Amino acid sequence: MTQGVTIFAFNNEQIDYLAMAAWSARNIRRHLDLPVCVITDVNDTARTVDFDQVVLTESPATQQQRYFYDFKNSAAWHNMNRSSIYDLTPWDHTLVLDADYVVASNQLKQLFDVEQDFLAHRVAVDASGYPPFNDNNYFGSYRIPMYWATIMCFRRSDTARLIFEAMQMIRDNWDHYRQLYYISENTFRNDYALSIAMNIVDGHTLSTPSIPWPLMSLTSLSRITQLEPDTYRIDYENSDTEGKPKWILLKNQDFHAMGKKSLGDIVANPC
Amino acid sequence: MNTDELISHSRARFNHHQARIALKEKYQAKLIFAFGGGMWRAGPELISLLTGRTNIDIVLMDLYDTPVRVNAPQLLALVEQRWQEQMNAWLVEYEELNRNR
Repeated sequence: MTQGVTIFAFNNEQIDYLAMAAWSARNIRRHLDLPVCVITDVNDTARTVDFDQVVLTESPATQQQRYFYDFKNSAAWHNMNRSSIYDLTPWDHTLVLDADYVVASNQLKQLFDVEQDFLAHRVAVDASGYPPFNDNNYFGSYRIPMYWATIMCFRRSDTARLIFEAMQMIRDNWDHYRQLYYISENTFRNDYALSIAMNIVDGHTLSTPSIPWPLMSLTSLSRITQLEPDTYRIDYENSDTEGKPKWILLKNQDFHAMGKKSLGDIVANPC
Repeated sequence: MNTDELISHSRARFNHHQARIALKEKYQAKLIFAFGGGMWRAGPELISLLTGRTNIDIVLMDLYDTPVRVNAPQLLALVEQRWQEQMNAWLVEYEELNRNR
């Protein structure tokens, strides 16, 4: 059974996701010792040398715009084809990572040794301890548990196939599901689609297996500086700190960098 | 009262407190490992459960509440190794954090 990591990388006018994915691929090889595949629309071999496999596909058509707080601007959000990963990934056992997920340890390697067909994070925490972030672990008026699409680990199996097919159904009928779950946002999010899909496939039992540790996250309110290859200083200020600057260090700790600007700066000038 | 000193101290305490929480999250995650198709958390409870059960396969509930048949001595060796490694690493980082404070 082949094992590997797959990353989606569709650039927009603000963010070079392919550069992030290439930097991430080097981290992944160093810590997880796994081959890395990129799914992208950039047909440029010079920019894809860091990947073991490249799957070229068209950028998903989207009208969706997302506001990036750190760029103080909106940009196209090419997130509509995440659910096609089941058909696009070359591996039998795939770890899907967002391009902005920073691998700084071998923690994720555990997921390949457990007898589960599909795993994603159920709980995300903010490294700065910002309390309102916990609201992100639920969505809609009924406070349905959120499953995060940032990391998905799946084997070729009926369960995984059904989850991705259900995600596609939800995406294609987003207005219906948005109303059904009383989701106020118009914007389609893979996290919502995944959460609804996992719940459907699991028979609405709310007992779906998940990655048994939280997804460490940094919002765009945080500024990230790389001090050493796997050591990052996080500077942040938020309403919880009454606007005063605070900082912590993350060493050998994986995290999801929601603020793309700091990560882009690191990728451009890595340690 | 030197309020600048007080503010500086208070801010340092806040940063230190958050750093301790982040460190705990990190090592709680690192105590989790896969073995025999199940997912386990290394800790005193599992060590106690496995200690003394030599040369036998036993069925235990893993973190997913799935019954998994495992070789007890093999799992115990892994649990103890993981527990020692990660607790030691946690202590080293914790002491470093206190020094930096």
